[in-house]
Amino acid sequence: MNGWLLAAAVVLAGGVGATLWGVATGPLRRRVVAQNLSSALACPILLLLSQGYDRPSYVDLALVLALLGPVGTLVFARLLADELAGDPPRAWGATWAAAGVGAGVVLALCAATAPGRATVKLLLTGALLIGGNVVASRALAGGFRGVRRG
Amino acid sequence: MSPRLRLWLVCAAGSGLAALLVAACLDLPGFGGDRHPYGDRAVDASLARRTANTVASVNFDQRAFDTLGEMSILFAAVLGCVVLLRQTRDEHRARPEPAHVDRPVRRYTLLVLPVALLTGLYVIAHGQLSPGGGFQGGVVAATSLHLLYVGADYRALERVRPIGVYEVGDALSASAYVVTGCAGVLAGTAFLANTLLPYGTFNTLSSGGTVPLLNAAIGMEVACAVVVLLARFLDQAVEIEEVRSL
Amino acid sequence: MADALIAVALLLVAVSATVAVVTRDPVRQALVLAVLGIVLAVLFTVLQAPDVGLSQLAVGSALTPLLLLLTVRKVRRRAQDRDGGR
Repeated sequence: MNGWLLAAAVVLAGGVGATLWGVATGPLRRRVVAQNLSSALACPILLLLSQGYDRPSYVDLALVLALLGPVGTLVFARLLADELAGDPPRAWGATWAAAGVGAGVVLALCAATAPGRATVKLLLTGALLIGGNVVASRALAGGFRGVRRG
Repeated sequence: MSPRLRLWLVCAAGSGLAALLVAACLDLPGFGGDRHPYGDRAVDASLARRTANTVASVNFDQRAFDTLGEMSILFAAVLGCVVLLRQTRDEHRARPEPAHVDRPVRRYTLLVLPVALLTGLYVIAHGQLSPGGGFQGGVVAATSLHLLYVGADYRALERVRPIGVYEVGDALSASAYVVTGCAGVLAGTAFLANTLLPYGTFNTLSSGGTVPLLNAAIGMEVACAVVVLLARFLDQAVEIEEVRSL
Repeated sequence: MADALIAVALLLVAVSATVAVVTRDPVRQALVLAVLGIVLAVLFTVLQAPDVGLSQLAVGSALTPLLLLLTVRKVRRRAQDRDGGR
């Protein structure tokens, strides 16, 4: 077992385990935040696995998750806007912490791979991941105020 | 059927299924062993046809007929949804109100939409090389269009989604799969046999014979089917209302 | 040692699937289901089945929640209309 896989196991057990606890218990506002964080943490895990198994093509999974994970959170934010309007969830500390994990993993992988198309793909994945999750967090914190029905 | 009888039926069927599963598990080879008789043959066959992704070779070459069945299941399921979720006589349409979305969220969705669409097409086109293929890419591409509903409003989505075109596209791509299969028969081999095209150079976009063609057909079919399916759900959730009986 | 990674992923899948079954409210169930999909995708990747993992990610992360929440919205609106009509 190499260091990449060990790091993936640690983030999986600690990070995703914690978000699973968050999504299983507590009020709705905490659960949507936990769902957003779970996709923000799973994406770096997939990147670490791709590096750990030495399979560059596995990066496609992380790319698709970085694109669709925030879209899923936006779906929740949009269709649950009424339920969340009274007491919008704000979890900027956790969001930036997850973004930090993502940025760290992407930079570490960029340093480990030879510069080229793979680096561009990694940077694109990282940008989509961090941007998407910050925007999704903002959407949860009241980005869909004006949506009542429709 | 009384609840008690139903419970007995569930218990009997469940214990039968459990017995069969346990019997099957006892006969399985050990986890992570080094003997893979089927895997070795599948990898050999896919390498002989210069398809880098063995899963794509199994799905669209060695077991292409099974994929035809799976595609028909999706087609029939979407057809069933379209029939079930149509507007009935006692329902009417209400215009959805425009939604006001925060500017960063709106900008993000408009920025990500083309990227997601392109990623979907990339996943379809690289089906024979890397993980993914028609199904995965088709779902990503179809989801990307619905960013317009999430980030803007329903009317914006309706403008880029003439539903009739997608219904026709669904049927056309499903028949394209069958036609590609029949071309094999006309060429003198068998239905869906991968003998039509040259196998190309290993690990390039034009490799694997008919695998990329079938991938493209499945990708278009899945994308159109998901768009049509979501259109019916959105219609019901946003537009169609019951007429109140007075 | 790679077995440890499989064990962690399997454990998370078992726990999240159980939670998804135990949760009664469909909206909260959809949230748990989204997390279950992500954990399943990680499990498939760990078991070297990235094609299946990619299918799971494509379907589970945005499409399933959208279908579920649209259905919930329709059912709730219908109930509201019924109550308002009386």
